[in-house]
Amino acid sequence: MLELKNVSCGYDKVDVVRDITFEARRGEILCIVGPNGCGKSTLLKAIGKLIEYSGNIVLDSINIENFNRKELAKNIALMTQTNNIYFPYTVYETVSLGRYAYLKGVLSSLSKDDRNIVIEAIKSVGLFELKDKQISELSGGQLQRVFLARAFAQNPEVILLDEPTNHLDLKCQVEILEYLSCWAKENNKIVIGVLHDLNLVNLFSEKIVMLSQGEIIGKGTPKEVFLEEDLETVYKINVKKFMLKALKKWE
Amino acid sequence: MYNYKETPQTTYNNKKEPRINQNNKAILLLILLTFLIICLGTSIGGANTSIKDILSIIVYKILAIPLSKGIDNNDVAIIWNLRLPRVLLAFIVGGSLSVSGAVVQSVLKNPLASPYTLGVSSGASLGIGLLIVSGFSIPFMGKLTMPIVGFLCGIVTIFAIVKFTSIVDKGMSNTTIILSGMVFSLFFNAILTTITALYSEDIKSIVLWQMGSFSMKGWSYVKIGIPFFIIGITGVIFYCKEMDILSFGEEQAKSVGVDTSRIKRNLLVFSAILTGSAVALSGTIGFVDLIVPHLVRRMFGAKHKIVIPICIIFGGCFMVITDLVARTIIVPSELPVGAITALIGAPFFAYIYFKKSK
Repeated sequence: MLELKNVSCGYDKVDVVRDITFEARRGEILCIVGPNGCGKSTLLKAIGKLIEYSGNIVLDSINIENFNRKELAKNIALMTQTNNIYFPYTVYETVSLGRYAYLKGVLSSLSKDDRNIVIEAIKSVGLFELKDKQISELSGGQLQRVFLARAFAQNPEVILLDEPTNHLDLKCQVEILEYLSCWAKENNKIVIGVLHDLNLVNLFSEKIVMLSQGEIIGKGTPKEVFLEEDLETVYKINVKKFMLKALKKWE
Repeated sequence: MYNYKETPQTTYNNKKEPRINQNNKAILLLILLTFLIICLGTSIGGANTSIKDILSIIVYKILAIPLSKGIDNNDVAIIWNLRLPRVLLAFIVGGSLSVSGAVVQSVLKNPLASPYTLGVSSGASLGIGLLIVSGFSIPFMGKLTMPIVGFLCGIVTIFAIVKFTSIVDKGMSNTTIILSGMVFSLFFNAILTTITALYSEDIKSIVLWQMGSFSMKGWSYVKIGIPFFIIGITGVIFYCKEMDILSFGEEQAKSVGVDTSRIKRNLLVFSAILTGSAVALSGTIGFVDLIVPHLVRRMFGAKHKIVIPICIIFGGCFMVITDLVARTIIVPSELPVGAITALIGAPFFAYIYFKKSK
């Protein structure tokens, strides 16, 4: 179980998110939702210890402050939004970087087990045929999946995802989320994702934390959180009406 | 749904990672090539000497095995005292600059960054400028005063930049490092320009030093260069994996377990040692540090385990060849090697880089 207790964090001493408390259970997908700029990604960065925070973040009764970088990487993997790639690494090379925390000794290379884990991770996102291709030649969606495979290769207890379905077509989005959901349930792991698509959130998440202007507006199951009035206050648009209207078009 | 469960448990039995396996042969070939180029560099000059004679002279000097027939003491003096140290120095400088370039590019995740971005050359130039103007000389060091001062000033500059960056930005972000480097460089260059304007009679020696040259630099320079070269390269090689990860950016590096600020700082220090000593020994030779890593990455992939050793070989050989051209193309006068690196390098780089990307 991953618990956040009164976590506040931000940049340059200004707190972007304030006093966040929630818990993510094993075997669940937890989604953080909210309008642009509400602090979703910032909160995710705090859980990955990429930025400083106040309060406590506790994984299985161990405060993550006590982990060093490598131990943290074995427990929490973060997939951030894809950025520009300047250097010609192959898919295999990129995914194998996920095993960094497990390597012993400065000059050691990947063991046979490590290599198998990397290959399995590449297969799990459906990119085995492309494993020797340079990542600079991949499409945005394929690249996204490469980084997801790298997170799997870290073999973590928690995967944090910042917009994992960006750049992906609908089929890929569904496949990735189904895969994550299976991964969490079968291995009893935790997935915390920042997603914009409320339909996907509604379909795939067991638990939702809704933020607005850096504070929690609601947390619980989709049914409990996605209340018509609350959504309208947060998103400044009647989400339910809009979704139903869009749905009607398909009939 | 991906059928990840049904995929047969194929094991990945290759003993080595695939691309590294392919590259072993290439590296062996390259080492042979290096040997050949060093011999060629030594053999060609005002008076040509055959490679066989050069080997004989080297063996004679190191193992005291008698010279083969037809080699007189004059040849020995030219080869042993002038050309061989010159070629070796060029190799060390070329290798250091290239490796340093590869390190800085990966650490700053910026393919256009180079050690000179970090102010090493401007710091060293300013030091040398002040030295020339003041006419100061460290007692007992004689002509080695210049490289010593150049090295110290280069290193101090890079430390100042790293320190400054860590004060203004605790996370040591790449943009802050690059911008601090630019601020320091511009400031130091401005001081140097002011000094040269005030002491116009010294302009020529300052400019000549800045253009870079390997002439009249004997074994004393090589002996100074080697320890820095070894320390710098060894330090860098320990961080090959981290450089791979840093190439993807700081956040990603942290999330796979790299202690980024410590490793970035260490890598910058090793890179400063390499560049600082190279600049101090030869002057500010640009371009090599920028293009050699690019060529190597293009030809051999981006893994630093491969990139770093091949950068030493490519950078070293490239510098030996450009120095050879610089001193033989208009005999008896010499061209500044810094100009030749760009003259040969730019078209060569364009050819290799853009040919493949069509």
